Amino acid sequence: MEKNQLKTKLNNLYIKRLPRDVMKLERLGSFHQTRLSFSRQLIDELITNNWKTEIVQWNINADGIGNAVIKIFSKQKLYSLIVFCHQISDNERSDRVIAEKWDMTFSLFLGIPSKDELDEMSKNLKIQELGRHLSKQLTLSRANKSVRVFNSVLNDLSTGKQPDKKMINNIGYLVRTTAVYGNGKFGISDYLPAKNDNPLNKPFQAEMLTVYLIRYFSIELINYLAKEKGKDKSVSLSNEISKHIGVGNATGLGMAPFLINHQKLIHKWIDSRETALSRVLSIKKLSKYNQAKIFNLIEKAYFYTLQWNVDDIVQSKRINILRKELRDISNNKRLTDLLTQVYPIQKIYEYFVNKISMETQEILTSIFIEPFSELINDLANEMGTQEQSSVLIGYNVNELIEIIKNKYDWAIKLNIKDPDENHFFWYTSQAKLEPRLGVTKLDNGSEKQLPFDIPHQVQNALKILKSLPPNITGAEAMVLHPEIRNIIKRVIINENFPFGEIQNNLVGKEVRPIDLLRCKLSFFGASKYDPKSNLWTRITLFQGAPLPHQLQEKNSSEWLFPYLEND
Amino acid sequence: MLNISLNEIYSEAYKAFRSIGIEWGLAKDAANQSKWLAEHGFYFLGSILKNADLYKKGELSLLIKENTLEKPLSAALIGLLLVEYVSSANLKWKGYIYDYKFLCAAMGIIGNEQNVQLILKKNKKIIACTLGKKIYVQKDMVNKTEHFSLEPYLSNQEFDLNKLQKIEKLPAPKVNKKCWDRLKLMAFETYVPESETSKSGAGY
Repeated sequence: MEKNQLKTKLNNLYIKRLPRDVMKLERLGSFHQTRLSFSRQLIDELITNNWKTEIVQWNINADGIGNAVIKIFSKQKLYSLIVFCHQISDNERSDRVIAEKWDMTFSLFLGIPSKDELDEMSKNLKIQELGRHLSKQLTLSRANKSVRVFNSVLNDLSTGKQPDKKMINNIGYLVRTTAVYGNGKFGISDYLPAKNDNPLNKPFQAEMLTVYLIRYFSIELINYLAKEKGKDKSVSLSNEISKHIGVGNATGLGMAPFLINHQKLIHKWIDSRETALSRVLSIKKLSKYNQAKIFNLIEKAYFYTLQWNVDDIVQSKRINILRKELRDISNNKRLTDLLTQVYPIQKIYEYFVNKISMETQEILTSIFIEPFSELINDLANEMGTQEQSSVLIGYNVNELIEIIKNKYDWAIKLNIKDPDENHFFWYTSQAKLEPRLGVTKLDNGSEKQLPFDIPHQVQNALKILKSLPPNITGAEAMVLHPEIRNIIKRVIINENFPFGEIQNNLVGKEVRPIDLLRCKLSFFGASKYDPKSNLWTRITLFQGAPLPHQLQEKNSSEWLFPYLEND
Repeated sequence: MLNISLNEIYSEAYKAFRSIGIEWGLAKDAANQSKWLAEHGFYFLGSILKNADLYKKGELSLLIKENTLEKPLSAALIGLLLVEYVSSANLKWKGYIYDYKFLCAAMGIIGNEQNVQLILKKNKKIIACTLGKKIYVQKDMVNKTEHFSLEPYLSNQEFDLNKLQKIEKLPAPKVNKKCWDRLKLMAFETYVPESETSKSGAGY
């Protein structure tokens, strides 16, 4: 019913939030998983096209060492996950990017590898970045066991017991990935979004499938090892617990520059999310079924937050406020009343938005979008793009000045001479070629900084543009001043893709890189953000998602806010 | 020979051009042109290294309005900006260019992205043109400095496409490992030793 209402109202949508409100780090760092998140899109694809999973090779011994090949296929395509499990000592096990050994190394492969290809991978996968990899590999990744949970679950299962649910809740995974490389890294296949016959042509689908399959592998592995250890006494993980086991991930600054370097793509992601919100805010009337769904999702979100516990002081406070606000919203008598009115979601949104924290505002965005897949499915197909290489022609100097004044007012206002606005610089480290944040006054290397000082570049360009004849073309301005090419390109992209520019000074003292990470991770569909500092976080992926054998079960695509009831 | 991905070509070329002091935007342009050449089966890796060497020696110009036979314009570094300049002002540009295949790459990119129609001529003979989103080039390319003219294509101009080759995408390239290592070494110069303050709290 809502879909028909929306069709008649497409020209009269609730106005989208503006980039100046959305593209602030504080808000981006409050995003949660939505139906548009890439892990959700993957599960929807697996359900819709009836993908099947099969273990085709299992050469794992009773100590968990060996290799396996897991095939996943639809009518159109076939991929496989190639996994090698290694013997490593506890002191060699590190989640840091500088680690050189891992419990598991693996790769998503196009088709099934031949013996020669498997041999090649057996040599190269274990050394990860130091190896050269095959062009039929779509990803390259590694994971470590969460040793405490892994061993405890193994002991329980081998003696015929299900593991303690509280422990499963506290950790949420058996293995934790420390990097998932895609898009041509170290010789693997380039990401080719234009290839229509590729079901993984949407952003990060190959990476998500890799993580989904390693999650499945981790559960199969522990069931197998329990059987090896306990023989007839052993049991397999229950469906309920298996479903609640995700894959952990430790994410650091490596992820941050992506959001600055892919303006057009980030615009597509955020614009889709904002369009989805605007569409649901435009729904005129809700069926009783959907009224109940919204109400239940608020409740579910509350229970989810009860199991989201972190050590980080800032995030912990935010979670406490979130819990209280969710409870207040669901207890508020106005809620049930508003749900029955015309434009119910809009009214709920407007009633609560100024009374709640940003963390709660953004969880409400996820809740509002969740029940209306039919209204937003088309947006999922709009979230991929290729960045433009050339700079759009057709702008003169006067127009560029106007764009800067209108779109970069936040950058123009900044006092870029203030040392606090020059506190950090971003660079690529020699050690592992990873992005790092240096302190300008203390660290060497600022002359090699990455061009993330956007306000500084904008102000410099504005000064130059003002000195030029206003009617010459933007290209001629860059011919005369090649030093402004990078920022002029950004400015023109921003004019056309306004959700692609973060409106904060990324080299200022107040910047919290963790907000950049959380934004990107929310688009991956992460849950249980667990910041360990302002620079890195742990998360869980696919917690609550259906396992391969559960994909065709009723409501299998609905797995927002995973929650496992304790015994 | 080494299999490499297009993303690796872009990423290493970008940093290599940065290492010789090329502005960020121009370095991205040069990397995109390099990737385009690789993607369309042109020899590119040695050309990147040669362009970088000549630029470092001060033998290539970045000035579209000032170039000579002795100090020609670097098509690798400024090609994309040149095609934007000609297209946006709808003018005819003449000058000395070193390694014009990078200019063909720039024409291919802007033709595909912005549907801009351009003609590149040498001694009044058409040696490359964009039509629709396609690009056609003269079959034998030489890597030296020559005098060219670049202009927008007007629909009343007629020429024989048969003398040109339609350029298509090809499978991922293989490159000489020594040359690739040299490029990576240049890229490495843009990296910074990690400081203790950077490590603090970084975790990963």
